[in-house]
Amino acid sequence: MPTIVQTINLKKTYMLGKVPVEALRGVNLKVESGDFLAVLGPSGSGKSTLLNLIGALDKPTEGKMLIEGVDVSTLNDNQLADLRRRVGFVFQFFNLIPRFTARENVELSMSIADMSRAERRKQAEDVLETVGLKERMNHKPAELSGGEQQRVAIARALANTPRFLLMDEPTGNIDSKNANEIIGLIKRLNEEKGVTIIMVTHDQHLAAQTKRTVQMFDGVITGEIVN
Amino acid sequence: MKSRDVFSYSFSAIKLRKLRAGLTTLGVVIGIAAIVALLSITQGLQDTITRQLQTGFATDTLIVSAGGGFGAGIGGRTGADSGFRLLINYTQMINGLSPNITTSIAIIQRAGFIKSGNITRVTIIVGVDFAEYSDIYSSTFVNETGNIPLIPTNETVVVGKLVSDPWKNETLFCSADDDVEIKWTNATVIPAKNETYTGHVAAVLKEIGGFGVGPSDSSVYIPISKAESFFGTDECNMIIVKLKNDDKATIDSVSKAIKEAFSNEVSVTSATAVLNILSSVFSVIELFLGGIAAISLLVAGIGIMNIMIVSLMERTREIGILKALGMKSRTVLLVFLSESVIIGLLGAAIGIGSGWVLANIVAIVFRGGGLLMGNQGAGAGAGGAGGIAITPVLTPTVFLGALAFGVGVSIIFALYPAWRASKLKPVEALRYE
Repeated sequence: MPTIVQTINLKKTYMLGKVPVEALRGVNLKVESGDFLAVLGPSGSGKSTLLNLIGALDKPTEGKMLIEGVDVSTLNDNQLADLRRRVGFVFQFFNLIPRFTARENVELSMSIADMSRAERRKQAEDVLETVGLKERMNHKPAELSGGEQQRVAIARALANTPRFLLMDEPTGNIDSKNANEIIGLIKRLNEEKGVTIIMVTHDQHLAAQTKRTVQMFDGVITGEIVN
Repeated sequence: MKSRDVFSYSFSAIKLRKLRAGLTTLGVVIGIAAIVALLSITQGLQDTITRQLQTGFATDTLIVSAGGGFGAGIGGRTGADSGFRLLINYTQMINGLSPNITTSIAIIQRAGFIKSGNITRVTIIVGVDFAEYSDIYSSTFVNETGNIPLIPTNETVVVGKLVSDPWKNETLFCSADDDVEIKWTNATVIPAKNETYTGHVAAVLKEIGGFGVGPSDSSVYIPISKAESFFGTDECNMIIVKLKNDDKATIDSVSKAIKEAFSNEVSVTSATAVLNILSSVFSVIELFLGGIAAISLLVAGIGIMNIMIVSLMERTREIGILKALGMKSRTVLLVFLSESVIIGLLGAAIGIGSGWVLANIVAIVFRGGGLLMGNQGAGAGAGGAGGIAITPVLTPTVFLGALAFGVGVSIIFALYPAWRASKLKPVEALRYE
């Protein structure tokens, strides 16, 4: 299987005021196409920082962050933006635009990618159908439950046919019933459609649903389990 | 992102905050409306005055006045500080100066009174040669009632339309064939002495409407010989020189010849020169008024900046989402600038419309109230028009300029917030609460 994401001795240091904080202290990770990886760790372990670096939302302080062989730290702002279009992000707090309907939220990522209006309308309907929300696509986020909002977010992440999905605590903000449905959906996407998924969580039960789990603590990977 | 999508996205953001966007737009509307109203009224006023001047101020004439220039002649003052006196009989000498001169006539004028029945009104008494004056001002020195005699008697009086019909209703102050009392106060003797004689109204002039050096609606005309004896002088206020044509070369050569003949003791003014002076005066007025109005637009611009910065803070997370979805910094900048362009365009369009309506309302109010200009006559010839009907003029330059200015100010003041939005780091923006 081709390698999609590879990190080599990845380090990230933040300045908290004048105090440097080492969020990542040399992470080595390889993700192959079709993988379903959970990054498990407690709060402050650096897992979200790692996710932001993989998603080209941030640049590493040291080390290499390769996405399909391209080193992210060598890219300029525009190239990073182009790269993000090929990555699907799902956030813990959904991050939908409240004034847009479910369909418009899904269409937004495609309109940013310059897709034509007709094309994106059809694609939005297709991905919303995939996540089981076609019937509610004309509702605004405020009219949807947490689980439904997260489905819209997943649909939006899938809209541009990304190389992989990045999920930051995707069930962290929804009730357990909806969480189970979301987990089921994510698993199906991986198993049936072959979508590569990297998911950050502190929930061991959720991590156990993936194919592979890496454990992080204090900015380094401390172990790996194949589920 | 396609430009149509950028605009549509910006529009959706504006729609979400209707009241705030509305108030911001109102700032632009007020600024643009003030500019458009002031400039179109000024332009209208300039057009009106120019038109009226052209009516009452033949372009093929020159005005010769003593020393201090046109102002001195118009102001009714004669003589210059040097002691030079412009005499009535200088007309003969002027006539011989150039083959381009058709004729020249002297004018004596004084502020005075006309009494008819028991009513006395202030007027300007103008002494002219009726025959030559009718020749020079053939389109304005024309009788409406009665007849203007070419060889008048000492008692002949011709009155302007406003003297005959000052109240503009059925009641006339005097009409042709009436006897009136002409009066002026001679203040050159001590004690000042009132001079009076009874004249006979031979004719009432047609309404002229304009004001200039020529005939005026609010003046009273008496024969020059009578004026000489009545005012006790052989000096005139001005000499009107009629030329064969109104070419610039003719005007310049004759002006030069006259000045040289009088050793530069006289001023020679042409209608064209006066119109040019007026035009430059109006340019300054327009610049001044436009500048004042532009200040209100600058205030609106600061309002736009303020709103955009607030909006930027409120939408930091949204910008983070857009960037996480792959929107480029340049597009974020365009999204914010488009919002200001929409506000600017909308504000400018409504502002131009409201400014135009405002200008017309002001014009109607002026028309109704009668904009009095020089009715009491700072000088005889120039005094006159009772009211000026201003028709506001919205030139394409003002229209397009206002539109561009409104949009331009909106963009300039949105540049900084838009730039800040575009520079937000996605990770930090997404973390923003």
